[in-house]
Amino acid sequence: MGNLQTVQSELLGILLAGDTDSALSLANEVLNQGTSPVTFFEECIAPSLEEIGKRFEKLEIFLPEMVLAAEIVNQMNDEVISPAIEANHSEKIAKLGKVLLATVRGDMHDIGKNMVALMLRVNGFEVIDLGTDVPPIDIVLAAEKEKVDIIGLSSLLTTCLPYMKDVFDYLDEGKARSKYSVIIGGAAATGEFAKSMGADGVGKSAAEAVSICREIMKR
Amino acid sequence: MRTRGRLLQVLDKAETGPIISERDFDREFIQKSIKNLVQKYDIRWEEDVFLPHDDALADRVFEAGYELALNTGIFCTSTKRRMVWTRDELDEVINTSPTSVTLGDGEDTVVISTRRPDDDKRVAVCGGPYGIPVPEHLFVPIMLSYAQEPLIDFIDNASFVSTYGRPIRAGSPWEAIACWQEADLSFEVIRRAGRPGMAVGCAENSPTHIGEVSSNSFGGFRPTDWHHAALISELKTNYDQLIKVAHFARTGSHIHTFANNIYGGYPGGADGMAVALVASLIMLQATYFGCTVNPGPTHATLSCDTHPKMLPGIGVALQGLNRNTNLLTTSFARTIGGPGTKNILYESAALTLVGVTSGIALMEGVQAAVGIETAHCTGLEARFLAQVTHAAEKISRKEAAPIVKKLTEKYGDDLTKKPIGKSFEQLYDLEKVKPLPEWQKLYEEVCKEFKAEFGLIL
Repeated sequence: MGNLQTVQSELLGILLAGDTDSALSLANEVLNQGTSPVTFFEECIAPSLEEIGKRFEKLEIFLPEMVLAAEIVNQMNDEVISPAIEANHSEKIAKLGKVLLATVRGDMHDIGKNMVALMLRVNGFEVIDLGTDVPPIDIVLAAEKEKVDIIGLSSLLTTCLPYMKDVFDYLDEGKARSKYSVIIGGAAATGEFAKSMGADGVGKSAAEAVSICREIMKR
Repeated sequence: MRTRGRLLQVLDKAETGPIISERDFDREFIQKSIKNLVQKYDIRWEEDVFLPHDDALADRVFEAGYELALNTGIFCTSTKRRMVWTRDELDEVINTSPTSVTLGDGEDTVVISTRRPDDDKRVAVCGGPYGIPVPEHLFVPIMLSYAQEPLIDFIDNASFVSTYGRPIRAGSPWEAIACWQEADLSFEVIRRAGRPGMAVGCAENSPTHIGEVSSNSFGGFRPTDWHHAALISELKTNYDQLIKVAHFARTGSHIHTFANNIYGGYPGGADGMAVALVASLIMLQATYFGCTVNPGPTHATLSCDTHPKMLPGIGVALQGLNRNTNLLTTSFARTIGGPGTKNILYESAALTLVGVTSGIALMEGVQAAVGIETAHCTGLEARFLAQVTHAAEKISRKEAAPIVKKLTEKYGDDLTKKPIGKSFEQLYDLEKVKPLPEWQKLYEEVCKEFKAEFGLIL
């Protein structure tokens, strides 16, 4: 089988090629050889996804390849990793955190948000995506209901920034601001605006959003 | 209302087309289809080619895009249905699209006409910030800096940072207030420029239909102005856009339509993007039956449309469309570089050379610093755009190709550094509305460079 570094390299190639069958076959082989499912995820799957995310950020690969890789990993988790973990009643793969994403009211743009959602998921975060044109109060209520760690707000349009401000206002009024970290993104979300709102971060790219979320969860 | 029949047909399709989830539409009809079509039609070019001039390739790109349009249609996000057209219906759309349109009024009209690749016919030019946010008090001098340029045929507006000192909220009455303010100030601008009949691209303070519809009425923006409707990426529409189109159709207003396909997104690289561009422009005409159609692709991470790798895809898509249809295609410069830099001039020139030699009817720009830096816009870069446009009319794709390549070498490495330049008040005299010496000198340097290095007299 070779060491896990070799396996990870092989897995990366398989994911980039979009070869689902080979991915499942490799996962089964590695686990049958005695590697624990959590170790396989942390040492082979997670680094492969991180590398794929980096290549997408540089547009060395494109969104379809990244989406397909993420889907293959989901299938590996569903069909191989999770059942193995269940069977052993042992370790669990720790989720890095729970993030709620929404494009705020008045804005239908979602490609950037969707890329962030994908990158967060492939990097081990649990993501609740409320979609586009989401009223501020619905964002706050969903965050409470889902007990998220981080709220991520997106807007391409400057005319939707007042709705981002509404989210912060509602959190303040409900004395709930300290329960969540709030990050913003999208073309309209400048550093200046983020600072004025007291946001915990502003992501200018999907990779940056992941980085910020990781830092937040480390605190 | 001559387009009522077409409008009702489109709205029917939004209500009766097959139901599908957005996710499945993206996966099955966009992602997989485009990849297969690129392979089926052998869409490719050499890596060091930035302006292909292969008519057979252009025709294959058109065929691939047409097939995508036919098999995919448009997804209506409001009804969750796929709007489909038959081959006969699509052919009818293409065959009946206007071959010319006259914008504006009186002595300030401009005629935009169909062109072909390597055509030497005149290209119209629209200059403007295209929605760059500006402080209210600077709107008039900024827009005047465009409207006063003789080579600019008509203008497209900036948006406001605020309206009467209040934030503009999308989907609220403030949108209507802002768009009426935009209309009032636009007329002030064109009056001051001595061009009262000039068409105005509007309404840039209208993120939803509210502002457009409200201000496109008596005393507001005119039917002879240039109103906007867009597809959402990729190949989608919604009631918001269709409400605008219904209003424009009723008022007999000129409709400019555009699609922002994502380079690096679901269409993939430049090859898939080219196919998506063709399909999008055909479907823009089918869905919104406007006068002009613009492919305004967006780089997935940089947001510009001047990235060197995008240029050949834009070129072949436009060539395919302009060889096979009479659609009044346009090209639109969204640069990383901002005013006061050489980058903005190089980037917009590269795209202009690609677009004009590929047969566009209208050149548009410049949305500087990808449109997000407050007041980073001046009329001087639009003047330069117009000059390059008219110089490009005199050369072919084959002659333009090495120039485009050299230009990409000048700015390509700077894109990630984001040279956003300076704001209007740092580059223009606010009273005289003239470029300050620093910006004027830089512009003149680049003009001389174009003459010495490329033989282009601007």
